[in-house]
Amino acid sequence: MTYIPSADDLEVITREVWTSFLDGDPSGLVPRDSDNTTDDKVTGCVHLSGAYTGAIMLQCSPPAARDAAAALFSVSPDDVTPAEVVDAMGEIANMVGGNVKSMLPGPSTLSLPSVIHGRLSLPGSQVVREVTLAWRTQPLTVSLWRQAS
Amino acid sequence: MIVARTLRVAGYDEHEIVEAGNGIQALESVAEAPPDVVLCDWNMPEMSGLELLTALRSAGWTVPFGFVTSEASPQMREAAMAAGAMFLIAKPFTAQDFQDALDPMLA
Repeated sequence: MTYIPSADDLEVITREVWTSFLDGDPSGLVPRDSDNTTDDKVTGCVHLSGAYTGAIMLQCSPPAARDAAAALFSVSPDDVTPAEVVDAMGEIANMVGGNVKSMLPGPSTLSLPSVIHGRLSLPGSQVVREVTLAWRTQPLTVSLWRQAS
Repeated sequence: MIVARTLRVAGYDEHEIVEAGNGIQALESVAEAPPDVVLCDWNMPEMSGLELLTALRSAGWTVPFGFVTSEASPQMREAAMAAGAMFLIAKPFTAQDFQDALDPMLA
């Protein structure tokens, strides 16, 4: 039986990344219901191909992405550039994705991250695990996708 | 940027940090001014970190080399060490992780 990381695993990994780089306070991320809003989003994604083919996606609001970049790069939120938001979301997706990959069956290859201002959907793939947390009142969703075989 | 910031926190702020955007630039940078140590991601544009390490060693460069990567499976650590890497620091990392890896070379 192939083990697929659970939603709890996604939360533990996300918390570890957040606590290490973005917010030293472990209570900064709090559980919340799924984000069903239609608000604007920023999405970071890394793809996996190989024994497990799919993706790990990180999605949050533009203000949360800006704050994440500010925290990651130790600059004021007012000074964050769009390029820094892209770098930050890509780096966070890469960190979460790399750690999730280590729990999945291998060998697989992790792609370089891609970041879009908006929501990302992956035709032919479906969400197999998802966790939504709140950071500074803003929803943050991490999802694991799997391509249909 | 987070590596550079962590290096400062770890006490290496007096060292000059030269960044390369990809493996090819890193090869050129090492040839131009050999550094005390190369810190390299695993996944990079143009060539992977492992390919960069292999290229450096093939060209005769013995510069200390370590990986800083979000992936750290036992197989990757094994492949990194077999290719000549001195350490592999997994993300998320701490300043202490860098001190443990770099102090023997830089302190």
